[in-house]
Amino acid sequence: MGISRRDLLRWGIVIGGAAMFPGGLRPRLAHADDLPPSPHTDPFIVELKPGRGIPPVVEKVAPFNTQADPGICVNVDGSTAYHVSPPRAVPANTEFFLIHEKSVSHSFHPQLPNNILWGYDGLIPGPTIVAKSGTPQLVRFVNDLPVNDPVGIGEPISAIHRHGGFQAPQDDGYPLDTFCTGQSRDYFFPNRPDAGLLQNEHSTNWYHDHSIDITGQNVYRGLSGFYPYTNSLDTGDEGTGLQLPANFYNGTPVGPFDIGLVFQDRQFNREGYLIYNTFDHNGFIGDKFCVNGLIQPYLKVKRRKYRFRFLNGSNARVYQFFLSTGQPFVAIGTDTHLLPQPVTVQSVRIAPAERVDVVIDFTNHQNHSEVFLVNRLQQTDGRKPNGLVSPGTSILKFLVEGVVPAPDPSQVPATLLPVTEGPAQLLPQVRVQRRIKAERSNGAWVINGQFFDENRISARPRRGEPEIWILESGGGWVHPVHIHLSEFFVLSRDGKQPPPLERGRKDTILIGGDVARETRILIKFEEFTGRYVFHCHNIEHEDMRMMAQFEIQP
Amino acid sequence: MNVMWLFTLLLLLAGSGCSEPAIMQRPDVSTVTGPPNWTALIRSEHLPNVELTTHEGLAVRFYDDLVKGQVVAINFMFTTCGNTCPLITEYLAVAQKALSERMGHRITLLSISLEPEHDTPERLREYRQVRGVGPGWIFLTGRRDDIEFLRRRLGVYDLDPVIDTDPSQHAGIVILGNEPQGRWRAISALSHPIRIRQAMERIILPPSQWPTGETVVNEVPSQDNEAVETADLSILPPVN
Repeated sequence: MGISRRDLLRWGIVIGGAAMFPGGLRPRLAHADDLPPSPHTDPFIVELKPGRGIPPVVEKVAPFNTQADPGICVNVDGSTAYHVSPPRAVPANTEFFLIHEKSVSHSFHPQLPNNILWGYDGLIPGPTIVAKSGTPQLVRFVNDLPVNDPVGIGEPISAIHRHGGFQAPQDDGYPLDTFCTGQSRDYFFPNRPDAGLLQNEHSTNWYHDHSIDITGQNVYRGLSGFYPYTNSLDTGDEGTGLQLPANFYNGTPVGPFDIGLVFQDRQFNREGYLIYNTFDHNGFIGDKFCVNGLIQPYLKVKRRKYRFRFLNGSNARVYQFFLSTGQPFVAIGTDTHLLPQPVTVQSVRIAPAERVDVVIDFTNHQNHSEVFLVNRLQQTDGRKPNGLVSPGTSILKFLVEGVVPAPDPSQVPATLLPVTEGPAQLLPQVRVQRRIKAERSNGAWVINGQFFDENRISARPRRGEPEIWILESGGGWVHPVHIHLSEFFVLSRDGKQPPPLERGRKDTILIGGDVARETRILIKFEEFTGRYVFHCHNIEHEDMRMMAQFEIQP
Repeated sequence: MNVMWLFTLLLLLAGSGCSEPAIMQRPDVSTVTGPPNWTALIRSEHLPNVELTTHEGLAVRFYDDLVKGQVVAINFMFTTCGNTCPLITEYLAVAQKALSERMGHRITLLSISLEPEHDTPERLREYRQVRGVGPGWIFLTGRRDDIEFLRRRLGVYDLDPVIDTDPSQHAGIVILGNEPQGRWRAISALSHPIRIRQAMERIILPPSQWPTGETVVNEVPSQDNEAVETADLSILPPVN
């Protein structure tokens, strides 16, 4: 006999009574993270479109002074904030941005009440920041989050991490480099490829909160956004470079045909208000599937190719996506970089913080036909996915429009981002290997037997010297391990060659569970020195200090 | 006295770069209606009012008498736990003392027995005395069902039912709660005592007063656990 959470709740309320479990009834408790289901919402009635779910690209602002900032600075938009960053000189061609973190009344779905979320510029997802290779950016984030917040999810303090980004330690969103309500912090992003190598040009990054203890809550509350990148190959223009599907054609706005899609699971109470369980450290799993902050939306598409930048922005849920038509995905990028060649796959498994850039071609679909993006990977707790189920849950509907195919100058060339310095070139230079062991210990998770300590260094790789890191984990849990600063090659998964989507470079990789007990990666730090973190991107695990640090030596 | 301590702390923190500036804009969210009362929600979902017995033999209610209106650190232990519990008790004692010296008595430690049949109030009292535990730290026993229920409500459990039956697996977590503000976290009780104290401060202080940056990092002496092996390339599969 199962005992519902509601029963427990009732007991919790009447618990002051004389006998808690009369008749010797031993409760077979559901888990604390086994929440009552969210209210029903009809799928595919919310349209995902520019301005609703597809955020605007943030506009640059006039340069502001970073040299001799007073304590209280007046920003270019007239707002004031106490400035915590040290003064700095930036190159003359730097672009400046100003983003305010603030509350927003957000509609996940018309059948639910609005919820008060926290968004960058009050947007869910945050505004898209586009980096251009060769043009540095200085982004000032101003914390305007409320100090007396009635919702209770998150704390109004921030550190901003540009995930997948190549940036100095002080600009990497170190968990203790926080700023509070009424303060601002500047982040400088050089936006050039590590070591000047073409193969290190970025494509798809994102930015999110990274504050000590409360990253899970702050990201859940809404603090994340896309940070795509253009370069000489991936130009963001269908008329130039690789001519991948894009939002411009020879400089003229088109589309959008290049759309970031962030997948996040959320949980709501009976009245439709957002729920988070601060007592669940296993990894928060919600039962509502959101795409760009909307529950099971639909997206109108023309009969042509689209590029979708899939981002798993969930705290702990792993997805495996299929298309309802049986049509494959053409993957063109994984995590930050484009792949060397496109890879055709029937499904895409994506763990928290991973990105997969895919091209889906709707040219041959009929007018008004519907194509569903289906998640078939079931997961009911933070441990690991239960396995594939059928038919799964459709989380996004593509509604095809057009009697005839739409003009489509975009291409998916056979060669994307060539790797000139890969395992073949680097392995002969490798001298050392390190073991990074993730395990559950004493009710939480440790890396190499220890919880995160801000003043402990677990690895001191030398700049320019490639190394093998062996990521080990048992079968009970999966952990999406994220290494800051540098992407890596996956050499082996339990001694075998990695699957096709792991043959490019990665900055986040799922280990443990049924995925792999031992993963060998090849990593090299080319330029910056100093202290960076690596951690589990199941954010509840991260907040429980499943994190460690490396310090790159000159 | 407490107020003085707090003042001293604030002055100390002023240098760390995160104290609240005089001029700031506070977004107004007073018009928001509808979301559940967070503190009440946590109380009903996670803070059951089970009856417990203190090391002094007093009957108390978990919520009404121990947690309501308090800042607390809660851990589960048992007196026969030989491996980690004594170390954890020591760490928590150090953290509590350091916190007290910095801020005055602001946090109550609650240690709840996972072997309540064995851990009578007398045994808990003895355990407490042997370890020189000071005031503001209550050891608790009670009915096993009640304690198991409480443990799960507080999130101290393992999803694997076999591991969950091993009480030593639950002894390593300390739950930090600021009940009036509805702020709850957990940290490994095996973290450095200074890290535990810092986490306690972050549950007491508003984020605008959290110490940040190098101040926090360097308070614990630096330590390495680097281990390097000679690379073994022989077992790698062929490169693509």
